[in-house]
Amino acid sequence: MSTTLRPRVNRVNPPKMGRRPLSDSWRRRLPLLPALLFAILLTQVPFVLSVYYSLTDWTVVPPGPREFVGLDNYRELFRDDFFGDAIVTSIQFTVFPVLAALVLGTAFALLLDRKFFGRGVVRTMLITPFLLVPVVIGLIWKNQMFHGLYGVINWVIEKLGGTPVEFVSEHPTLSIIITLVWQWTPFMMLIMLAGLQSQPSDVLEAAKVDGAGPFAIFRQLTLGHLRPYMELGVLLGAIYLIQVYDQIAVITGGGPGSTNVPYYVFQRSIGGGWQFGLASAYSIVVVIASIIIATFALRVLSRLLKGEAAA
Amino acid sequence: MSADDATPAVGERRWVNVALGGLAWITALIFFFPVLWMVLNSFKSEEDANASPKLTFDPTLDRYREVTETAGGLLSFGEAFMNSVVIVLVSTLIVLALAIPAAYALAIKPVGKWRDVLFFFISTKFLPVVASILPIWILARELDLLNTRLVLIILYTAINLPLAVWMLRSFFVEIPRELIEAAEVDGARLRGQLTTVILPLAAPGIAATALLCVIFAWNEFFYAVQLNPVEGSTVPVWVTTNVSTRGEFLAKLSAASVLACIPVVLAGWIAQKRMIRGLAMGAIK
Amino acid sequence: MTAVRYVEATRTYPGTETPAVDSLSLDIADGELLVLVGPSGSGKSTALRMLAGLEPLDAGAVHIGDRDVTGVRPRDRDIAMVFQNYALYPQLSVAENMGFALKQHGVPKEERTARVRETARILDLEPFLDRKPRQLSGGQRQRVAMGRAIVRQPAVYLMDEPLSNLDAKLRVQTRTEVVELQARLGVTTVYVTHDQVEAMTMGHRVAVLRDGVLQQCDAPSTLYHEPVNLFVAGFIGSPAMNLLEVDDARRPKIGESELALDGAAGAALGDSAGRITVGFRPEALRVGDGPLPARIRTVEDLGSEMFVHVAVEHQGESVPLIAKVSPPFEGSPGDRVGLQITGTTHLFGEDGSRIASPAASLRSPGAVSRS
Repeated sequence: MSTTLRPRVNRVNPPKMGRRPLSDSWRRRLPLLPALLFAILLTQVPFVLSVYYSLTDWTVVPPGPREFVGLDNYRELFRDDFFGDAIVTSIQFTVFPVLAALVLGTAFALLLDRKFFGRGVVRTMLITPFLLVPVVIGLIWKNQMFHGLYGVINWVIEKLGGTPVEFVSEHPTLSIIITLVWQWTPFMMLIMLAGLQSQPSDVLEAAKVDGAGPFAIFRQLTLGHLRPYMELGVLLGAIYLIQVYDQIAVITGGGPGSTNVPYYVFQRSIGGGWQFGLASAYSIVVVIASIIIATFALRVLSRLLKGEAAA
Repeated sequence: MSADDATPAVGERRWVNVALGGLAWITALIFFFPVLWMVLNSFKSEEDANASPKLTFDPTLDRYREVTETAGGLLSFGEAFMNSVVIVLVSTLIVLALAIPAAYALAIKPVGKWRDVLFFFISTKFLPVVASILPIWILARELDLLNTRLVLIILYTAINLPLAVWMLRSFFVEIPRELIEAAEVDGARLRGQLTTVILPLAAPGIAATALLCVIFAWNEFFYAVQLNPVEGSTVPVWVTTNVSTRGEFLAKLSAASVLACIPVVLAGWIAQKRMIRGLAMGAIK
Repeated sequence: MTAVRYVEATRTYPGTETPAVDSLSLDIADGELLVLVGPSGSGKSTALRMLAGLEPLDAGAVHIGDRDVTGVRPRDRDIAMVFQNYALYPQLSVAENMGFALKQHGVPKEERTARVRETARILDLEPFLDRKPRQLSGGQRQRVAMGRAIVRQPAVYLMDEPLSNLDAKLRVQTRTEVVELQARLGVTTVYVTHDQVEAMTMGHRVAVLRDGVLQQCDAPSTLYHEPVNLFVAGFIGSPAMNLLEVDDARRPKIGESELALDGAAGAALGDSAGRITVGFRPEALRVGDGPLPARIRTVEDLGSEMFVHVAVEHQGESVPLIAKVSPPFEGSPGDRVGLQITGTTHLFGEDGSRIASPAASLRSPGAVSRS
């Protein structure tokens, strides 16, 4: 038996006595504090200030005194038709792209979730739109694809014998939605791909042995498994899509049919309206709307999938 | 779970595989077409770019020369590029420095109210950027931060922090508890646990998170154009200066666009497998 | 001289009502290998983790040596732990894994290398020092996990089911090595397992836990021959003890046969005329032409010994019993046989505790019973 292995006192830290329940919970909180404080400072302060401004009649051009007017701005909001239009547009710019990107993204993911020649290249091509600068997306689609005279889409339409379409001027809503779907499909695709690849293969094999065909497997097993991934995609997508600004700014610059609430708020405030008080009230409403939309979207989707899985 | 794993297609017939593979190729080419065309256009003259789309042309680098010439007074590509690089890298590093300990406190040694904290972080993204510009603009002016890189660094950190905290927490949760306990019993404090156990095991997730932060920060337009109109502006803003109201500009715009997008696209292409893994782990709460 | 003491240690997980470990009091001697055993959920792992400092105590205390270490952080307790899944640091080499704790405690490099090498020699790990854990087999990883603990020369070793991920044969082999190693090093060891065979073969003493409560802590043979209650009796020993409920304590019967107990038992039973449970080990049951009729269900032939599973009619139900017989044994499923009890039976009261362990035998109904 080796003598070097007799137990030896080997402690550098002197042993501490006693209990420390209080400091334990604070020690747990400590690493969280920098991030938390930073987030609170940079988000709550503007938010509180916005609430404050929303209760004043502050305008910058023409400069006016900032007086407290209570809920006047909010009342004006309800009378403002443009704001109503902006809400409708916001909903269009969120719901349609999210759903379309989800469906397309899932379809792409299914295509990609198999081995075939050049799979890596295909995947690389498919994720690119999400990596592009959004103003680039807007500018390229406007000037290269949608253009009335020189646009690629119209070139194809003409070749097929149809008449060219002025996308941007005649169909602003649709034009922007198309660019949003194009941009966000890869994001959904990546999430769905991750979901498909995390499916335990033995469950799938058991289903095949039990005689289930690919469609049955998809509907009854895969869709249920993908649900949390879809929820994540919808949640994150909705959060970012509600705030769309870049494409609107470069494609239509606002205007009927393509002004969502953030852009409208922008127009009312530093985009020309200079009515800071009013604009702040509008943006507070947007926050509430965002939360409602996100919750609603998740519930609808969950119910849809529960129905499918049970079928 | 790498991006090379595909769900095995047991008993799939050869022709089905080829057909679906072909479908995937066609779909990808159509989907990718606008990008492809943009790159092609960037090598054309304005005439060629604006003519009815044709595939034959004389390639030239003139457009690239044009857009990268210092435009005296106006924002130049070099300046915008440097600004973007510094702003994005610094803000991403700060995000990680803040989010990693926060994720530790939410996943490994969880604080009591971690669910509430997580929800708080995500809820900060509900306030549209457009709405908060007002107070932020005023504060920035008071603090003399307009037209600086610092203001964008701070703001981009704030934008990306919630996402980073959420994703990193999901990755940290996946780390086997035993490993951390072993490190604890062996005498490692927070720093030792981080470097020996957490960071190595969560490295792919951290990379995916960092990549997403880079993407969102680099591509950000609104804050950049509102807060830094004179100096300190970024590449996305620079791209919009290449649009003319008169004359033809599509080729020039295409060249500018390609330059603006290359860094992030390359990063994304190289790291796509990590991104998939990262998103996969991040999705399972 | 290091010893470990649990003093009424209690831990209740937040959100639950019953404690995971309930007032555990245990004195472990210096150099002893004490096994904590019990079914899953019995609190054995929790008790170990309380000793490690990974689980806080809601009441009571834990002592290592003469120090009260309740509330002291794991790294300051001078303990080393072997985890069930080994918890090896994946990107460090074997040598780095084993030296990690020493490094954290500031041991200078030369001494570290020397101690790691020495431990590796003892465990036959020298050829693997530069490899990463993923390049090792399960058995090798297990040894690295042990080496990581041993190299630290702590006051106490804690082992949390360290063998359960090994295949059966390796497990038996490693069991012996662990016992030898512990004897050589002479360090107090607390060892958790759910496998009662492991417990019985390894521990100086074995502490049986159930639902967080200590049932009995004794040397293995004491546990085997003098189980303090029904649970311990049924848990220790493989195959398990045969247990039958008997309605009338005064005139215990199995099926229609009377169970004749020797003198002292009668006194121990005293006036309790209630239900008791009778237990006897498989080796106490003889299969042949005894007075208790039974039917053979299956015969297990393990080569060196055989187990015969039988069924008897008792109190209106078909009750399975197991008998251990030495080969050769002639009998097949379906055969009618007669059973006899030789050796000790254990009598357990209604509350489960053991009343007496008399010698006993069966008599056909109507025969005269010894008083």
